[in-house]
Amino acid sequence: MSLQSATHSLLRAQSLGLSAVLVILATVLTVVSGSHVDPMTGASVNNFLNAHTLLQMATDASTFAIMAVGATLMIISGGIDLSVGAVYAISGVGMAMVLRALGPMAPVPTVLVGLVTCLAIAGLCGLANGVMTIGLGVHSFIITLGTMWIFRGLAFVASQAESILVPTSLIGAVKASLGLGESLSPVPLLAMLGLTAIGAVFLTRTVMGRHVLAVGGNPEASRFAGLRVDRIRLGVFLWSGLTAGFAAFLGAGYYGSATSSDGTGYELYVIAAAVVGGASLQGGKGSAISSTLGALLIVLIRQAIRTLHLDQNYEWIIIGSAMIIAVVLDQSGSRLLAKRMARAAASPP
Amino acid sequence: MTSSVSFRGITRRYPGITALDDVSFDIAAGSCHAICGENGAGKSTLGKILAGIEHPDAGSIVLGGEVMTFDGPREALAAGVAIVHQELAFCEHLSIAENLCLSCIPTRWGMVDRAALDREARSLLVKVGATLDPARALGTLSIAEQQLVQIAAAVGCGARVVVFDEPTSSLSEGEAQRLYSLIRELTATGVTVIYVSHRMPEIFLLSDTVTVLRDGRHVATTPTAELDETTVVQQMIGRKLEQYFPAHIGATAGEELLRVEHLSSPGKFSDVSFSLRAGEVLGLAGLTGAGRSEIARAIFGLDAEATGSVLVRGRPVRIGSPRSAMRHGIGLVPEDRKRQGLVLSMLARENTTLTVLESLSRFSFVRRKEERELALDHFERLKVRTGLLESPTTALSGGNQQKLVIAKWLAAKSSILILDEPTRGVDVGAKAELHAWIDKLASEGAAILLISSELPELLSLSTRVQVLRDGRMAGELGRDEANQDSVLRLMAGIA
Repeated sequence: MSLQSATHSLLRAQSLGLSAVLVILATVLTVVSGSHVDPMTGASVNNFLNAHTLLQMATDASTFAIMAVGATLMIISGGIDLSVGAVYAISGVGMAMVLRALGPMAPVPTVLVGLVTCLAIAGLCGLANGVMTIGLGVHSFIITLGTMWIFRGLAFVASQAESILVPTSLIGAVKASLGLGESLSPVPLLAMLGLTAIGAVFLTRTVMGRHVLAVGGNPEASRFAGLRVDRIRLGVFLWSGLTAGFAAFLGAGYYGSATSSDGTGYELYVIAAAVVGGASLQGGKGSAISSTLGALLIVLIRQAIRTLHLDQNYEWIIIGSAMIIAVVLDQSGSRLLAKRMARAAASPP
Repeated sequence: MTSSVSFRGITRRYPGITALDDVSFDIAAGSCHAICGENGAGKSTLGKILAGIEHPDAGSIVLGGEVMTFDGPREALAAGVAIVHQELAFCEHLSIAENLCLSCIPTRWGMVDRAALDREARSLLVKVGATLDPARALGTLSIAEQQLVQIAAAVGCGARVVVFDEPTSSLSEGEAQRLYSLIRELTATGVTVIYVSHRMPEIFLLSDTVTVLRDGRHVATTPTAELDETTVVQQMIGRKLEQYFPAHIGATAGEELLRVEHLSSPGKFSDVSFSLRAGEVLGLAGLTGAGRSEIARAIFGLDAEATGSVLVRGRPVRIGSPRSAMRHGIGLVPEDRKRQGLVLSMLARENTTLTVLESLSRFSFVRRKEERELALDHFERLKVRTGLLESPTTALSGGNQQKLVIAKWLAAKSSILILDEPTRGVDVGAKAELHAWIDKLASEGAAILLISSELPELLSLSTRVQVLRDGRMAGELGRDEANQDSVLRLMAGIA
């Protein structure tokens, strides 16, 4: 095996392996789940492989996947953001409150104001996390553990714990069927694909993406190479907040309301998605596409429990085990490849 | 003389390479036996096998007439074999005493018996003549002191064979001298010392016998008295090493590129002034702790407390970060390649272009073809196999890794290069190449500030040598006045 193909295969191995697992799991589910007769059309419909189930899964996955793109960058840079669930809540609540205060508007301004508000609040939260982590020199785990409670508390106090409805035009935008059948809404799926693509291009093609990888791999050597390490890390915090805000925008639009308890525990699903996708908590390694695949895997496992009529009480146990297995398999796989590459590098050309 | 250790047909294979191939030789009891060879020759692996850290795939070790197989370093230690490691393995946050007695912490009623721990540690430290406080946290010790603790641990456990794996690679001249006398004391008490190194002077200073390995094979085992340096080097590299006279010497120095005036940093160095012209190699000599690397860091914008002025091309500049240093054409090849020089998780190409990625981009997108060409160009110039361009940095040898760090600054077109221990941990062949490179860069008009603990290297490459002692300039020597003796005298402060 030539060295170059070995290197490329290491990059591809993660997403290929995950894709394979996803396809196998989906195939098994399709075969095993059986079918039912659609009362409207009289046609036989597979219990798993149908537009509704798949889109519902994609929607569930989109929240985690979008935030996982941010978390992937954060983890690659050597940090962690535990506050994304709370940022999701505070930006959703904040947007709903701003829209309520502004009163009825035309659909397009409503959507724009909503999106901008959501992203602005989330971006500020991300910057606050970054400024404190970098300025105070405290590990991001601790700062974001604190702000996780602070942000959610702010959302709780501001909303007085009530569920705030969002305007119907916003719901209409997020749940738009875009020409697909009625009650099908592909917008979250498209947003997920779009953001994953942006994340992937950012990491593999741009200077900033390369700098994030460098800073995460070795902050000291990066500084010695003249990189503005603090600025790069601050950008990652901003990005992490923004992805949570974007997910909150979609979530509030999809479910029609926002409350301060939205997104509770999402930070853990999001981190799980990133590490299942091969991001290393040591920093310097990770891929946006793999993280999205990781989010899909988690959602697919949840769906499998439902489709196969397994006892739902075991959901957490199964997801937890699957995550550990996925990470262990991934690590042993990359160790094997690393060995193979070291051999290729040692052998004469 | 009886043989203490015999290697019989030791073979060790790693995926893709054979580190040791049917190596057999004997080591006399109570002798100091040097094992030398280039990096990758297998000398460290052999030491590790003896100490039970690695297992041979074939062959056996005979220790005091008995065939031994060690399952881990503990068993080796029980049989009287200890190793003093290249990378010291300690728990930094524990005390010296706790580290020394880690495997058998004395207890009383199930609690750590602090008094006994302290006594035990003191008695071990005394044996190697160390006057360290056993309660100090290990992380606060210098590398030399940590090494001393490691030797104390080895000797304290009653080791009869001690393997020293490149022990002086991070020691200063004075610390190394102390280590040499300790090794002589050990052999005088009948301990067999196996000294793994590729540094000629110390091999000749210490050893009774020299075994040379090359590419995992045994080349020769010869009494040191019958050898000279040239022969050993030839055995190590399998060919003749040409001696050369640096080309930049004698060429007229160009304009002044860097001037440092009254540079001080509290607790590190004070009132340091020198100037550096294009085409010059200024050697910075001094014992560890004399402030050489600290001065380099200050010039490179990594010391916020530094005061004094720095002039680049005659103009006073304020350098507050490596980024601004880089903008003024200053590059630093740092002392610790793995921690400061390279991002090991990235590819070789990515490390090469890290300093200049912004200039290789359009709208923030990396122009990948140009990036590749630039990296390829520097690989060719520095004679690194171009096939390694896309390989992980960790897969490269020490010499090639060091060339990546240099390439990074060549890519940034630095005209003022600070090289801090540029050949540390680099094998003989690559070292000669690096020396030729430093010389070539200077003769092409770069200004080079060279920091090296290896005096022969410093003396052969430098146009002038500045000597530092305790953070102050102790004197400057021209090329004709600078020799081992005069520099050492200035370093140590002997008139």
